[in-house]
Amino acid sequence: MQILGIGILTWIVFLPIVAMIFVLLVPKGRETWIKWISVVATGLQVILAAVLLLNYRYDLAGVNTLEGFQFVEKYRWIDVSGVAWFGRIVIDYFLGVDGLSMPMVVLTALISFIGAIASWELPKTKGYYALYLLLDTGMMGVFVALDFFLFYIFWEVMLLPMYFLIGIWGGPRREYAAIKFFIYTLLGSVLMLLVMIGLYFSTSIIDPVTGEKVHTFNMLAMMDPKNYEPGSIFSGLHTTWRYIAYIALFIGFAIKVPIVPFHTWLPDAHVEAPTPISVILAGVLLKMGTYGMLRISFPIFPDGMIKYALPMAILGFINIVYGALAAMAQEDFKKLIAYSSISHMGYVVLGMAALNTQGVTGAIMQMFNHGTITAMLFLIVGVLYDRAHTRGLYEFGGLANQMPKYFGIVIIAFFAALGLPGLSGFISEAFVFLGAFQTYKWIAIFSATGVIITAGYILWTTQRLFFGQLPERWKNLPDINARELVTLVPLAIIVIFLGVYPSPLINLMNTSVNHLVKFVSEMGQAGMQLGILP
Amino acid sequence: MEERFIIELTQSLKNFLPEVSLTVTLSLVILLDLIFGRRFKNIGAFVSLAGLVVTLFFTIKQYGGSYQIFRGMFVVDPYSTFFKFVFLLSAFVIVIFSLQSYELRETSARRRIGEYYFFILSLTLGAFLMAGSVNLIMMYLSLELVSISSYILAGYIKESERSSEASMKYVIYGALSSGLMIYGISLVYGLTGELNIYAINASFLSSGYSPIVLMISLVLILAGFGYKISAVPFHYWTPDVYEGAPITVTAFLSVSSKAAGFAMLVRFLKASFIDRTITLGIEGAWAVIQGLPLTEIVAVLSALTMTVGNIIAIWQNNLKRMLAYSSIAHAGYILMGVVVMQNLGISAMLIYFLAYLFMNLGAFYCVMLVAEKTGSEDIEVYKGLGYRAPFLSIVFTIFLVSLTGIPPTFGFIGKLYLFSALINAKVIWLAVVGVLNSVVSLYYYIRVVRNMFLGDPESGKEPINFSPAHIVVMLILVIPTLLFGVYFTPIVNFAQISVAMFGLR
Amino acid sequence: MIPLSWYLFLSLILFTIGVLGVLIRRNAIVIFMCIELMLNSVNLALVGFSSYIGNEIGQMLVFFVLVVAAAEVSVGLAIIIAIFRNRLTVNIDEINLLKW
Repeated sequence: MQILGIGILTWIVFLPIVAMIFVLLVPKGRETWIKWISVVATGLQVILAAVLLLNYRYDLAGVNTLEGFQFVEKYRWIDVSGVAWFGRIVIDYFLGVDGLSMPMVVLTALISFIGAIASWELPKTKGYYALYLLLDTGMMGVFVALDFFLFYIFWEVMLLPMYFLIGIWGGPRREYAAIKFFIYTLLGSVLMLLVMIGLYFSTSIIDPVTGEKVHTFNMLAMMDPKNYEPGSIFSGLHTTWRYIAYIALFIGFAIKVPIVPFHTWLPDAHVEAPTPISVILAGVLLKMGTYGMLRISFPIFPDGMIKYALPMAILGFINIVYGALAAMAQEDFKKLIAYSSISHMGYVVLGMAALNTQGVTGAIMQMFNHGTITAMLFLIVGVLYDRAHTRGLYEFGGLANQMPKYFGIVIIAFFAALGLPGLSGFISEAFVFLGAFQTYKWIAIFSATGVIITAGYILWTTQRLFFGQLPERWKNLPDINARELVTLVPLAIIVIFLGVYPSPLINLMNTSVNHLVKFVSEMGQAGMQLGILP
Repeated sequence: MEERFIIELTQSLKNFLPEVSLTVTLSLVILLDLIFGRRFKNIGAFVSLAGLVVTLFFTIKQYGGSYQIFRGMFVVDPYSTFFKFVFLLSAFVIVIFSLQSYELRETSARRRIGEYYFFILSLTLGAFLMAGSVNLIMMYLSLELVSISSYILAGYIKESERSSEASMKYVIYGALSSGLMIYGISLVYGLTGELNIYAINASFLSSGYSPIVLMISLVLILAGFGYKISAVPFHYWTPDVYEGAPITVTAFLSVSSKAAGFAMLVRFLKASFIDRTITLGIEGAWAVIQGLPLTEIVAVLSALTMTVGNIIAIWQNNLKRMLAYSSIAHAGYILMGVVVMQNLGISAMLIYFLAYLFMNLGAFYCVMLVAEKTGSEDIEVYKGLGYRAPFLSIVFTIFLVSLTGIPPTFGFIGKLYLFSALINAKVIWLAVVGVLNSVVSLYYYIRVVRNMFLGDPESGKEPINFSPAHIVVMLILVIPTLLFGVYFTPIVNFAQISVAMFGLR
Repeated sequence: MIPLSWYLFLSLILFTIGVLGVLIRRNAIVIFMCIELMLNSVNLALVGFSSYIGNEIGQMLVFFVLVVAAAEVSVGLAIIIAIFRNRLTVNIDEINLLKW
């Protein structure tokens, strides 16, 4: 599918960059133009995502088959002819979507659009929106790239804008938070780099154009054991090097998720970042970690996945309970939401570790739903902070009468976060537990305590903010305004809609998830049954 | 007999044209400066630029050939020609820097500065010779030509206490390590009776050698090379000299002198200590002669160099000194390409040098401009610079990001290839050390970025403006840094062809 | 006939004295003298090797080493003079503007 001779995925990825160039060209003193350019560009992204959705074929699986991918674009990017001692180097510009990435593309477009609107009031507009749009390209690129090299470039492109966005527009401890974020994520991605290079040297395919045997960064080729060269570092199944590579990749992605104990950057970054950036961080960036596992770690290292599924499930459990307990202890509203993100990402990890259709479906749904719910929560914090300039939970009370419309929106988001039936959070958590219960009965049962703790801190927070005596100093707090409603209401509608009628989302990913689960478990177990296991 | 000698000599001279043209240029520089120097201060610079262009023309004409000249003293091959491009490019950029340098402007008010350009060119000539020498006499002489030129350049602003102190330290460390090196050379001569590196290799293979004596002499010779490429533990001079010398000279030393050292080191190792009777089964890999733990020595040297360089750099507050330690660290990265003893590693090294050329010169240029406008190289003056000089700050950020090795910059491609070489040769531990070092290096590079952009702009400080000439130079350096980060096909092609050394597989 | 090893030992001893001198002595002039000593011990070794092996390449290198040593020292002395004009000292312990 093409627009003006350029593929639709290229459009959706690079539209923000085009807008960024326009933003940089806007003369001084025209801040409004900048804002409108950015909002229009991200809005167009949403429209493109909708077009993708309308043309999406639900029967194609993707994952490891090229035919199963949709809207594929594949062009030669780097092509270095071989020399006597080193073969041809080929890197493709290779984009495509399947059931795993489609929900994420929609989510990214949506959250970016809402973030752009929510950024309206921030100072130093030009720099902000330029970096914001660059970040947008990076995020979208990660979700549609099917070439590992391209994936890595997009992954890293996000780092610098994010560093500046937290570091310049953040709160009082922004410098610390920004550098911490940067160093953690870079540490993760350099591990990924080494694995990527190792995979490159291990796999080779016959180049259809020239008929030569070439090494490749193509993820789909890396998923097929037949493409591994005998004697190369990652050949075979269930070898030590493959386990090490799986763990390295896992750490790389786990830092992004973040999975305890790699989570310490997150509370700092979330608390210090300005509201729209917190929204992006929680809504999209965290999902990259889990998406990376589903897209790369699982299908490329199914053996490692099977071997380390149990520890992963335990980590998921720890995330759920630790995040929830830590959230309970917070007095800062935003920090509470940050820890609740850790807890909710734990469900994703648990669902993935279960490796069955329900679990993985639940995980991807949770990724999407957490994206929308947590975006709402951070926007809600932002609304309150903009008015009161404080986030201390104990300083508020009785806001229900003072800000009734705000109260209504908050209640939807809060109940969705604690998993009330009828809202989207419930569906995904239910699926995760259904899946996890089949594989890890006890872990699933213990993890369910997380739901109770979540209910605890959510309800307490509600009580502290909205009930009781309204302190004198907040007598003049205005209610939520129209621009803020524009950002929150669409998300609320999605949350309610998917809570009542989740099948559009499930249908979107169903074929791919089934295929992924079947592929990974068969591949992973194949090695074990053949007795290759040491 | 005599006639044949003359024919050979003219043949050789024909293939020696780049060096000849450099020599002519540097003579012209000193001559014309004597005659016209009083009226046209910068005549030396313009003559140098013209000479470098002519040299470039001869070098391009030479590219692709592979032959030895002057009776096996010197070779012309794609490998040396590649380095000649690097030297020429960096000399060209440095002359342009020098035209804009405030330090030199102050000096030129007091005296002629023709000698400055003379020594820039003589250093380049020395580097040319280093890249092509295959005889230990030539190697030693060309190394000394580079060294002596750089001693003088480092102390060029003799009125400045820092500059002359830097030069003093440089000359002492330099003389010491070249003394160690020549002692090592004398031992090698004693072992083999030869000074031509191919003959030395042949002698090792045919008549054997004592591994212990060879080890000792190798270590002594490595001291000389290690000093030139500022590898730990021969790096002590680097921070002092880099801090004290004029910025243009520092930038020049960090690229040309280092590249020359690497060019010679790799040729020396590959030609002298290769065992051609062993085939490794891997195309483009060479086997080291038996009993010599060359790979391990270089690997340890590399790991030490990058770790020490990066860790000490964290504590530096003077930007020039920080970049000095960073250049030590980069020497460590580049050594990773040598460790694997494969063509892939050498090509990675070449790619890295091209990347390093642009990003490092660019970083030094930014430091120079800021020092000119604010009078200091301290990291404190960078506070709020992002709001006073946005263009420079953005460009500087790109250079620093590239030095860290984050895509989409040229520096990343360089690192990618170095790590690829290591992983392909399965030297995983060093690759892990390398990537962890990249993360460490982020910390101090980003400290500069933090000072420039984070934190509120200080009020009362007026914006800094740059002339179009400054902006053009910045663009010339920053565009390749970004462009080759996204599209690196030509660079890789160029580097892969340039791996070929005369007389070696 | 004096055996080769005697020359080599003498050269080694001189070289060691030279290196130690560079490392220990504090007067820049003396340091340069020690560097001269190092280079000359190398020359001794080269000449010894050359006559032992029986080819003249080593003796050729001696000439180059001599020239280089002269050049190095002349540059070194010039720098010392520059420093002396600035500081009125050639003691390298007192030349310490640049550190860490």
